[in-house]
Amino acid sequence: MYNVQLIETLSLIMILTSVTAVETRNLRFASIAYSVQALLICGLLLQFARGNPALYWWAGTAFATKAVVTPLLLFAYIKRTGERELKAIIGFGPSVVIAATMMIGFYRLTHNNIHLLAPTPLATEGVFRTNLAVALTVFALGIYAILTRRDAVKTVIGICLLENAVHLSLVSLAPELRETALVGIATEVVVTVWLLLYVIAGIHQRFGTTDTFKLSELHW
Amino acid sequence: MKEQISILPALACLIPAGAGILIFAGGRLGAWFWKGIAVLGGLATAVVAGLMAAKVLGGGSLTTWSNELHVDALSALLVAVIAGVGSLAVIYSIRYITLPALLDRVGRDIIERRLPTFYGLTMLFLGTMIWGCVTNNIIMLYVAVEATTIASGLLVAFYWDRNGLEAGYKYLMLLTIGITFALFGCVLIYAAATAYLPGVQALLMTEIKGVAGSIPRSTALMAVALLVVGFGTKAGIAPFHPWLPDAHAEAPTPMSVLLSGVMIKMAVYALARTVSMFLPAWPVISIFLVALACFTMVLGILMALLQDDLKRLLAYSSVSQMGYVLMGLGIGTYLGCYGGLFHLLNHAVFKALLFMGVGAVIYATNGRQISELGGLGKKMPITSGCFFIGALAISGFPPFNGFMSKITIYLAAAERGMWWAATIAIVTGVLTLVTLIHTAYAVFWGEPRSEKATADIKEVPASMWVPMVILAGVCILLGIVPQVVYPLLDKAAAALATLGS
Repeated sequence: MYNVQLIETLSLIMILTSVTAVETRNLRFASIAYSVQALLICGLLLQFARGNPALYWWAGTAFATKAVVTPLLLFAYIKRTGERELKAIIGFGPSVVIAATMMIGFYRLTHNNIHLLAPTPLATEGVFRTNLAVALTVFALGIYAILTRRDAVKTVIGICLLENAVHLSLVSLAPELRETALVGIATEVVVTVWLLLYVIAGIHQRFGTTDTFKLSELHW
Repeated sequence: MKEQISILPALACLIPAGAGILIFAGGRLGAWFWKGIAVLGGLATAVVAGLMAAKVLGGGSLTTWSNELHVDALSALLVAVIAGVGSLAVIYSIRYITLPALLDRVGRDIIERRLPTFYGLTMLFLGTMIWGCVTNNIIMLYVAVEATTIASGLLVAFYWDRNGLEAGYKYLMLLTIGITFALFGCVLIYAAATAYLPGVQALLMTEIKGVAGSIPRSTALMAVALLVVGFGTKAGIAPFHPWLPDAHAEAPTPMSVLLSGVMIKMAVYALARTVSMFLPAWPVISIFLVALACFTMVLGILMALLQDDLKRLLAYSSVSQMGYVLMGLGIGTYLGCYGGLFHLLNHAVFKALLFMGVGAVIYATNGRQISELGGLGKKMPITSGCFFIGALAISGFPPFNGFMSKITIYLAAAERGMWWAATIAIVTGVLTLVTLIHTAYAVFWGEPRSEKATADIKEVPASMWVPMVILAGVCILLGIVPQVVYPLLDKAAAALATLGS
């Protein structure tokens, strides 16, 4: 029923787009990498939708919110705050090594130990197992981005990765979820991202930078 | 338990949300319109909440849309707290939000332009919080909790200055990350439940409760961990609390009242509602929750001791008090849940009162550092009296309400043999007394310590002190006759209690 090879290829490219989005210092390219990732998610969802037509809804919502609206928002605000990302805590070289190690290590770890997490037999089998492992790897990369990047816009991209990961995992975990819930979840993420960018634009205006380390006037 | 179909749960969340939308729609009309709609919407919600509580007490639970919304005594209690404190906070804000010192600091035209946004978002915020308490759908629970973050994000950064923006950024960032963990947890529970429940039923928490014990161990523990991180972040449980002091201190005071008085309660409700399902099968979770609660209460009160800023002090004290609520609910017995829920209700009352008192001090003096105030008691007798009542109540001093709920929690801990937890809670209670009474003394008695405290100071307007007097009255009432809330708390605690003593 599923084109296993296609799904695995798309999943692999998806993890790579996460690493690109985390590591690229140019925020516009990072947003494009994110957008590509969103398109890949749509592709994956369309593949899975062959077995579960409800996922067509999910693919459409994901396309509108993740591949179109979120990158547009990111672009609009990057225009105001500047496209060059501030230096991260970890230098580019070490960071790529860490991200790559995390990517491979986490994927293997989750793929081999899926029984600890997967609540249903379905999620431990074949493509669903791959899907869950990919989602968790993207989740870990998102957390990594949020923890180690100083640029506020980059942390927002990190949040987007987290959300992508959770939404992708729904394919394995909650394939029968109704459209209302799915649309609700997806819309909220867009609104949150917009609010965060709006506040970050305010920060850029008042502090003259988007460096989160400068946001340290409130101590204790 | 019999169930009846009712429109009230839907009305409870639609009235404030509708009022919010109406305020946005009338954004060009004057302040009278925005404030009037907000007050009317708040009061109407409170009436609906009261009706709902009465109906739940009379019969079984209320359901709407084929069990999509489900109100038992626990939900009714939370909705009543949200609507009650919410409408008082809205009344309080009428004069506070345009206080003169603030208009000078931020700019008169800017504040006036943002007023419809303030009232519109406040009402939406109330609506989303109530939605979170009445929904029975585990995924929608996540959606509602995230919606409260969205509705309140701009309110935290309302002043749009350096501190406000920093607090707003931290607030949105940390809560969004936290809540993503909760979504993962909710999805895991739903996915695990699909093995035992057909179709839509696997989404309904009332149904999941029955099968929670059969969920595989690793999945259940993973889901609980994710939920504790997720909803715990929102509830201000240490070590996930760093957003809380910033947001509570930098938001406008009516907003601090809502954040500290009700929002974190709603999050702890979400946590208790989901996690309590797993307590009977894995009692070890209970010990974990109580230990986390002890850590939270000690850390919170120690940080509060160090503060000079009044609002930050109260914010850290909220962290500490959430530890008590979590301890009660984490103990998991009927007595523990009763104490936890009673403390949740009490904390909403006295923390709202204390924040309003600090707001009154800010209104009168334009200062909020303890080191620059002093001797205000003679000039502001009502505020001073109310603040002292709040301070004594939060410290667990008889005959105020805090004493009743804290002693219940101590007894519940002792009953389960958790003497270490009871000891830590009692020591924290003493520290709370020291911190809050010292604060009240330093601000309202003693000698003025700067010009801010000696300038021409008058008591605050009636729309500000009336809510304070009402809350102070509730503190005394619940302390002397705690049995008035017994029927509702009894049923709510029975709905939540999953462990035998």
